[in-house]
Amino acid sequence: MSEPILELRGLKASITEQPDIQLLKGLDLTIRPGEIHALMGPNGSGKSTLANTIAGSPSYTVDEGQVLLKGEDITEAPADERARKGVFLSFQYPTPIPGVTMVNLMREALKARRGAEVPAREFLQELRETLASLKMSEDMARRYVNEGFSGGEKKRAEILQMGLLKPDLAILDETDSGLDVDALRTVAEGVQALRRPDMGVLIITHYERILSYIEPDYVHVLVKGQIVKSGGFSLAKEIEAGGYDPILKELGLLEGATA
Amino acid sequence: MAETQTQPLGAYAADAVRAASEARGEPGWLAEKRQEAARAFEALPMPTQRSRPWKYTDVSGLSIAAHPPEASFLPVVAVPEGGVPAGGYAGSLADALQDERLAAVVEQHLGALIPATEGKFIAANASQWTGGVFVHAARGKAFEAPVTVGVTAQAGAVFPRMLIVAEAASDVTVLVRCSSGDADVLASGVVEIVAGADSNVRVVFDVGWGAATRDFLSLRARTDRGANVQVATLAIGGALVKHTLEGILEGEGSTGRFRGVALGDKDQHFDFVTLQNHIGRKTLSDVQIKAALAGGSRSIYYGVTRVEETAAGAAAEQENRNLLLSGDAKADSDPVLEILTNEVIRCGHGATVGPVDEEALFYLQSRGLDRRQSLKLLVSGFFRSVLDDIADEALLEEVTASVERKLEVARL
Repeated sequence: MSEPILELRGLKASITEQPDIQLLKGLDLTIRPGEIHALMGPNGSGKSTLANTIAGSPSYTVDEGQVLLKGEDITEAPADERARKGVFLSFQYPTPIPGVTMVNLMREALKARRGAEVPAREFLQELRETLASLKMSEDMARRYVNEGFSGGEKKRAEILQMGLLKPDLAILDETDSGLDVDALRTVAEGVQALRRPDMGVLIITHYERILSYIEPDYVHVLVKGQIVKSGGFSLAKEIEAGGYDPILKELGLLEGATA
Repeated sequence: MAETQTQPLGAYAADAVRAASEARGEPGWLAEKRQEAARAFEALPMPTQRSRPWKYTDVSGLSIAAHPPEASFLPVVAVPEGGVPAGGYAGSLADALQDERLAAVVEQHLGALIPATEGKFIAANASQWTGGVFVHAARGKAFEAPVTVGVTAQAGAVFPRMLIVAEAASDVTVLVRCSSGDADVLASGVVEIVAGADSNVRVVFDVGWGAATRDFLSLRARTDRGANVQVATLAIGGALVKHTLEGILEGEGSTGRFRGVALGDKDQHFDFVTLQNHIGRKTLSDVQIKAALAGGSRSIYYGVTRVEETAAGAAAEQENRNLLLSGDAKADSDPVLEILTNEVIRCGHGATVGPVDEEALFYLQSRGLDRRQSLKLLVSGFFRSVLDDIADEALLEEVTASVERKLEVARL
């Protein structure tokens, strides 16, 4: 078997400003090249915390355990170093950056990822192609990053960056939230078109619907900072049909349930 | 302390000023004006921190008279390639005084908007300016490209003086580039802008002073009906930069736009004062001052937008944003509105002082940009709304490059 892209070993993490609030309580996860993993779970289960912790957000601090990228321990690495090594986070709520155009950001980001200047012609060529696979206009690239973007535009802009930066690991944090059916299809098809065969993907979602466009190899259920159940695509369908309660009940985790 | 009291006046004494004026062959009215200004200089006290516009800028230890006027100081005026449109002028005030027609215009306007008696720095300028700059746009004529003024100081005190007279429906842009070396320099500038009906006047200051230069500038523009005046200060260099920018919006439907950008590091001190006085109906003012502060640098903003009873239908915006790039940087902001009529269209003001948005920083870092690169991008984005107004491509590129260079080594 090939070397994993991502390995989480007994990962525990808390909020940096409130160290007594631990949100991830011992998480193990292995993603190999080409695999698509879906992480599902009720609100407050720690899904976004996990996404941000893998990406190196200073808002969270790892208390215990390790994050390995292609075998290398990146637990202590700052976010920018992780990104240059191939981690990409598609944000649930992409931040507006006033005065900085998409083109400007992507040019700098691509330069950082490749560790070398990218010739203007080559950059524009790649940008055009990537825009096209997301059915985005070139005007979009001239706008300020995430400023005044609609929900769908924000998510497409994230996937656009993924397509250009060609990461080894893409974490899609609720990329489906806030999108109508058409926007969801465009984004999902964009992910499929731009996904490299050896890329590892971690899709974080509430709902099964994005998974019907991007079928996962594995589905994990996260509850209170721990993966309580893993399975195939059928697990996502189970959740879609019956919600989380039957699983929680089965595992004896349903709070307030009377026997 | 009261150093100025004991400091010998030397070249600043009224007699010396008159003699110097006569030696330069200046007309009698000017020699007279200069002598009056010198008397005002002697009589006026240095501003104290009790005066609101000087609240955060302490000049009690500064003696103007201890800085001998730099004898060789001469602003260099470069006329655009297409030349000066017929009937107009762009060159030194000294040369303009040699021409009877131009001298009459100068005599009418010089010191009319900013009288020498208004303050010590202004009086010093009015008595001491040499060379000077006069830009005159004739009725209905447009300069094809900006007039460029190079202001280079060596040491001591320099007194840049500029008078812009734009006749009805004329159009002119003036770019002032300030530079100096590492020596102690005191610059006290005065700029008067007379904007005729429906004229367009733009003035940009590229403040690239050396690290030991202290710069005090007073600029005042008066707008006739439908005139547009736009002033921008881009402060990168200098130890202390205090720019007072005023618009007297007299003519109906006239506009004053004032922009200031400061990028500070080390112990740089920036102080912007703006005053927009709406007198005419439907006048419009728009002030935007932005400072990004690294190291132990500091910025101060005090701005008053005053809408007189006569200014029905006026609209005013006043905005001051301060981005603190280090824990030691500091900013004080005080925008004031004084509205004396009920009939304003809109009148807004806003001020912010705060550190860099951590979420934006993480977003950029998650794209592979290190902390310094990310901050550089955030600062250039922060300045963008102001810089976008500056139409001159070459200058914009230059300023962007200076911002980059400065942030490369700034303490962030």
